[in-house]
Amino acid sequence: MNLDKLLETGDRCIHKEPPTCTAQCPVHLEIIDFLAEVEKSNFQNAYKLMEKKMPFHKIIGRICDHPCEAVCERNKAGGSIRISELEKAVLEYGTYKPKKVWPLPKNKGKVAIIGGGLSGLTAAVDLDKKGYTITIYEKSDRLGGRLWDFVDKGLTEALLQEEIKTVKDKKMAIQLEKPIDEVRLEALLTEYDAVYLGTATWESPLKWNSSTFQVEASTLFVGGQLVTKTESIIASASSGRRAAISIERYLSKVSLTDSREREGVFDTPLHFEISKHVALPPIEKSGEIYNPEEASAEAARCVKCQCRKCIEGCVHLRNFEMSPDAYVRQINHSERIILGTHYANKMINSCAECGLCKEECFLDISMNDIIHETRESMVERGKMPASAHDFALKDMAFSNSSRFSLVRKQPSKEESKDLFYYPLISFSDYVKGLYKGTGKTEYLFYPGCQLPASYPDDIKSIYEYLVGHIKGDVGIYLGCCGAPADWAGQQALMNENVEAIKKVWEEMERPTFILACSSCIRIFKKYLPEIAIASLWDIYVEKGLPNKDHIKTPQTLSIHDACGTRENSDLHESVRKIVAKLGYGIEELEYTKDRTKCCGYGGLVYYANRDQSNAFVNERIGESENDLLVYCAMCKDLFVSGGKRTYHLLDLLYPKDDGEAATRKMPTLSERHHNRSRVKQILLKEIWREEPEETMREDQFKLIIPDDVKQKIEDRYILMEDIQAVLQNAEENNERFCNPETGEYLARLRRDNVTFWVKYEKEENAFILKSVYSHRMEIVEE
Amino acid sequence: MKHESTDQTKWYCDKCQRELELAKVKVKYMEGNFEVDLMKCPSCNQVFIDETLALGKMKEVEEGLEDK
Ligand code: SF4
Ligand code: SF4
Ligand code: SF4
Ligand SMILES: [Zn+2]
Repeated sequence: MNLDKLLETGDRCIHKEPPTCTAQCPVHLEIIDFLAEVEKSNFQNAYKLMEKKMPFHKIIGRICDHPCEAVCERNKAGGSIRISELEKAVLEYGTYKPKKVWPLPKNKGKVAIIGGGLSGLTAAVDLDKKGYTITIYEKSDRLGGRLWDFVDKGLTEALLQEEIKTVKDKKMAIQLEKPIDEVRLEALLTEYDAVYLGTATWESPLKWNSSTFQVEASTLFVGGQLVTKTESIIASASSGRRAAISIERYLSKVSLTDSREREGVFDTPLHFEISKHVALPPIEKSGEIYNPEEASAEAARCVKCQCRKCIEGCVHLRNFEMSPDAYVRQINHSERIILGTHYANKMINSCAECGLCKEECFLDISMNDIIHETRESMVERGKMPASAHDFALKDMAFSNSSRFSLVRKQPSKEESKDLFYYPLISFSDYVKGLYKGTGKTEYLFYPGCQLPASYPDDIKSIYEYLVGHIKGDVGIYLGCCGAPADWAGQQALMNENVEAIKKVWEEMERPTFILACSSCIRIFKKYLPEIAIASLWDIYVEKGLPNKDHIKTPQTLSIHDACGTRENSDLHESVRKIVAKLGYGIEELEYTKDRTKCCGYGGLVYYANRDQSNAFVNERIGESENDLLVYCAMCKDLFVSGGKRTYHLLDLLYPKDDGEAATRKMPTLSERHHNRSRVKQILLKEIWREEPEETMREDQFKLIIPDDVKQKIEDRYILMEDIQAVLQNAEENNERFCNPETGEYLARLRRDNVTFWVKYEKEENAFILKSVYSHRMEIVEE
Repeated sequence: MKHESTDQTKWYCDKCQRELELAKVKVKYMEGNFEVDLMKCPSCNQVFIDETLALGKMKEVEEGLEDK
């Protein structure tokens, strides 16, 4: 994995970028935090934030010309936050006695400060704190400069005197009534290690660097109004502080220019959309300054400008309290450590790989791609926890084994002869289709693995429909497209699977694949772009719906698009056309089509982190009061388990009279296996009229399973065939424990890399299951 | 990972009809290889793991090793 590229992507994320207010504040008060503290009435914490960033905060907090307010995003929705009024309130309610700081020994060099106004005092105090010996030269008889103009205009004389006294109390030399001219300046430059010039005017023109304030290559630094050329108080203070930083860097012999791009006012790369927020007008003051309640209410209007677009859409990022920039740092750490715990594993396996984040991000940052690449890297380095995806990968192996997998050409005309003479059947589209058979497979129906597992009875009907409606022979191919391997980051396995599909495609002379599963579509587009594909749903739109009388109760449905279809807008439209044709109303969800969310199955999160999967389910089903309409088997399964009435498109196209389709529980993990095998049997017997070589595996023991144990079997990803195998071994070899007090048996069997345990009781010829569980750790019995 | 089940005394090996005894047992997972005290049949060596152990401590250790 290219970690430099990874970090670069993380750095592009603007989540942590400052809001406009802070970027335009010359001293970068952390305004979001400041306002959050005020909102919570933590005035003292707010005060500390002012103290941290503002020189002479007690003065500036009262007279700042607040450039932050002009750019406040709130201005577009009711009016800027009254930040400067809130600063005044905080000075009133949050002041506390500062801790005594012990001055550093003054051994770092001598600096002269010319001009005792705000910028000069700021530079003086900052450098004094760092251990420089300071002398202030002021032409008048008092410090403070134009701050005196603010007496009775925001400041009291007492306050100003008090603040000036704090300067005088420090160990600096203060020379009043000492005007400096060019000749004196020359002398100071030789006498001192550096000189700061903070007078509003100077007799001759000077040339300084606009980011370091150094005058040419000399030891002279400038600041204050001479540089800012404005009346702005806060700009003056900021320039004094920045010049002090330059002096410190210069005298410490480090680069003057390194990483200073964001000093002073800068343009933040943050993009923030206020449009979703309702307009709120500013809170009026009832007195001279905000009272504490008013202050808190005013601060509450701040919308805390920050990019959270992807996070708002994704319950995975929210569950782990991760922004993409932080996520990237965690991955980077996890990829670099060799010894020690990889704490991020669980998180990395909890992403649904649904791609919504990229869709939401105006910078196209795709956590999906990053996380996927990380999984591949984990597998490659042997760091992928085996337990995360084991079950799904075994399920995939099952689907590609002879128990499900099947490839057949359309039954030939020759083989179907008998059907053509039978008057009734010969009217069916299917038989007409067979009659037109050419022997060349133009299409291959590939229903995937989950649709046959969930809708075993419909696969034959769909196949017959296709033969009857499509021009050209339609063959069938049963198997798994490899989506589990892709999600699990198993590149080698994925490639193997892709090659196997390609081989069938070549052998069949490159037919178009007809796909019904959204995951298959995604996988074919990603790994098999050379194979032409058509979606079953598109074909229904084009060729007409299979049955005539579907509609039961017309109602309004909300369509949940499978996340794998995100980029497939034609498919979205086809599905909507079918639903409308069937007579249902449609109400779109907020997150729909290319902005759809994952049902909770994607990325195998269902197996890797069930809580996270449930969070996806619950968030999605909570989005609408309407019944949902889905067209992916797993979406249906998860939503119904979450308690939401959900139709699969096939429920409507091939209605069954076996109860409410919208609440019908989907098959268990074992039933899914069983159903797939059954589909193969049905097709072989009824379409190809062959006797299957393999017979369905019948259960050897009759089991009685209480509901709570049924649930455990599902939650713990245990198959009935595992249970049967444990029982068989226990019964045949007596390998089991027995509890005479309860009459219970406990037996174990290691199958592949898992040990399964079954606790049971015998009753006549049946076994009552008491519990089942498993572990992956191997016990050496010796 | 020492473990003493709450009801282990009542269980015995059905194959050998013997009571279980606490013994040092080797367990392996990924790169991890260690010995723990578990109940087992002294004659056929079947080791008894109850549900609390399998889903509690054992799972924890498995996860710990998987994240190494
Ligand atoms: S709304 Fe809040 S965070 Fe956004 S610009 Fe205004 S004060 Fe700053
Ligand atoms: S791919 Fe989906 S689940 Fe993963 S981070 Fe993006 S939005 Fe969240
Ligand atoms: S949408 Fe997400 S990834 Fe994109 S900039 Fe915003 S926070 Fe970062
Ligand atoms: Zn024994």
